[in-house]
Amino acid sequence: MIEKSTRRRFIEGSCRILGLVTLGSTAGLLTQRASAGAVYQVDPNKCKTCDLCRTACVLSLSAVKAVNDFERCGYCMLCPAYMDVNSTPDEKGIPTGKVCPQDALKRRVVGRVDADDPNNNYYEYVVDEARCDGCGKCVKACLPPAGNGSLRLEIRYSRCVECNECAIQIACPDSAIARVSVPGLAPVATHTP
Amino acid sequence: MDANRPDSDAARAKAHTRFWRLWFAPIAAVGALATLAVGAFRVRPTPRSTPSQPVVQPPVAPTSTSPAGSGRILTMAEAQTAMPARRLPRQYVQTAQLGGVSSPDKFLKDLSGIAAGADDHVYAIGDGEVRVFDAALVRLRSWRAPEGAACLAVGPDGRVYVGSSGRVDVFDPAGVHVQTLTVGEKDKPAAVTAIKVFRGELLVADANVRLIRRLGADGAARGMVGHLGKTGRFMLPNGSLDLAIDAGGLVYATDTGRHQVTTWTLDGAPIGKFGKFGMRNPEDFVGCCNPVNLALTPDGKVVTGEKMVARVKVFEPDGTLLAVIGPEHFDPACVHIHLDVDSHGRILAADPVRRVVTVFSLAPSRPPGEPA
Repeated sequence: MIEKSTRRRFIEGSCRILGLVTLGSTAGLLTQRASAGAVYQVDPNKCKTCDLCRTACVLSLSAVKAVNDFERCGYCMLCPAYMDVNSTPDEKGIPTGKVCPQDALKRRVVGRVDADDPNNNYYEYVVDEARCDGCGKCVKACLPPAGNGSLRLEIRYSRCVECNECAIQIACPDSAIARVSVPGLAPVATHTP
Repeated sequence: MDANRPDSDAARAKAHTRFWRLWFAPIAAVGALATLAVGAFRVRPTPRSTPSQPVVQPPVAPTSTSPAGSGRILTMAEAQTAMPARRLPRQYVQTAQLGGVSSPDKFLKDLSGIAAGADDHVYAIGDGEVRVFDAALVRLRSWRAPEGAACLAVGPDGRVYVGSSGRVDVFDPAGVHVQTLTVGEKDKPAAVTAIKVFRGELLVADANVRLIRRLGADGAARGMVGHLGKTGRFMLPNGSLDLAIDAGGLVYATDTGRHQVTTWTLDGAPIGKFGKFGMRNPEDFVGCCNPVNLALTPDGKVVTGEKMVARVKVFEPDGTLLAVIGPEHFDPACVHIHLDVDSHGRILAADPVRRVVTVFSLAPSRPPGEPA
């Protein structure tokens, strides 16, 4: 009598457990989906380009990359984010050093080209993300009044591994890494030259 | 006791079953939920300790180390306070200031333009008003400026021309609105960044088309100034074009991307230019795009305003440097120093960051041999 009752109750209990597991799984999946709609991103108004994005990210090559806003870029010949304006000039007076230690900022002439005088040309600057380590030197150099402030740091979602706690967010002294809710997050369009 | 044993066993079994029923299911459910939650949030390890992937180090040019004017390349901090090592022919001293915290005429929100008019009256645009001051910087009158006013000029008859996107508004000397001139095309309004008045004509700097527009008093187009070189037009990475015109009708214009001051006839023929990029010599223009602002003194000297190293310089028309008014007078964040010069050669320099107009006058020359 007692055994029968225990078995039946055991089966009842097991059914309850299965039901709760199903409920828990559903809740977990829903939570996972909800968290996928929120991403870490750099607030350019708070970012001081302290270099911690490069060193604090758990990835070997940081998920933070410099991005050029072409609407704001001046397409300068003497781009202060590209050239180290304080480096030794060549015979034409153009600085020979570069700001980016990774040589990740590339440029090409756009529009009509004057091969004789580079001062007559406009240049488009594109970040090579395979090289960029998010150090922010170019971003700092482009800030007004030296430049137009067209460069900024961004976390690339294609590289970000969505840590439970973003290591850069913890390290950032300026609270410039924010958790941003992005429902239906779509891949970020990247500029190709 | 023995008789009670089965009952005791039954009671123990019942309690056991109750325990399983009451506690096992919730504990298992919580465990499953926690496992799933941990799975949902992928926890990553602590920050890496290994260096990043192979790094390409471009050749870095060495930085030389000699003082300004003698070959040394300045650091940015040094450049901010750099003054020429040699003694320059002219010295300017600050003689007055308009605005600022303690001034009754302080600009609270913005200061976007300055101009000198007849009787050395000073005209300024700020806080949505055109304000007129006498030569001693006492406020005479003010009136509401058009929305987005970016620059102004004063004609010899006292009329005030205020430029904003796609238009120039004309006011009589008392501040009564006379007319509005449309500048630019319907689908591409002019970015009016400077205006000058010359013999009844208006010269309007349009940073959108990167040219200077000649307009009649009625706004009719009379030509363009500024076509140059194979790629044409002014190079304006910072989106700002300034101009000045001398008594003979020679037009001076900034070509910021080329780091030059250029001169033109009213018909648009290029006459000359001076200036080049450089971080070490004070006569050179620093950064991506300089000089940003421009004015002429009554004796024909060229006054330039620079950003990055916020300073004002005075040149001979051939580019010989005469004077430097150093960055200690301006906010380092200035991207413009609006300039004009009155009939006594006083330089009016408007710092839009500090919202202050500073007046600089030529210092009396010292006898030869006397130390500076």
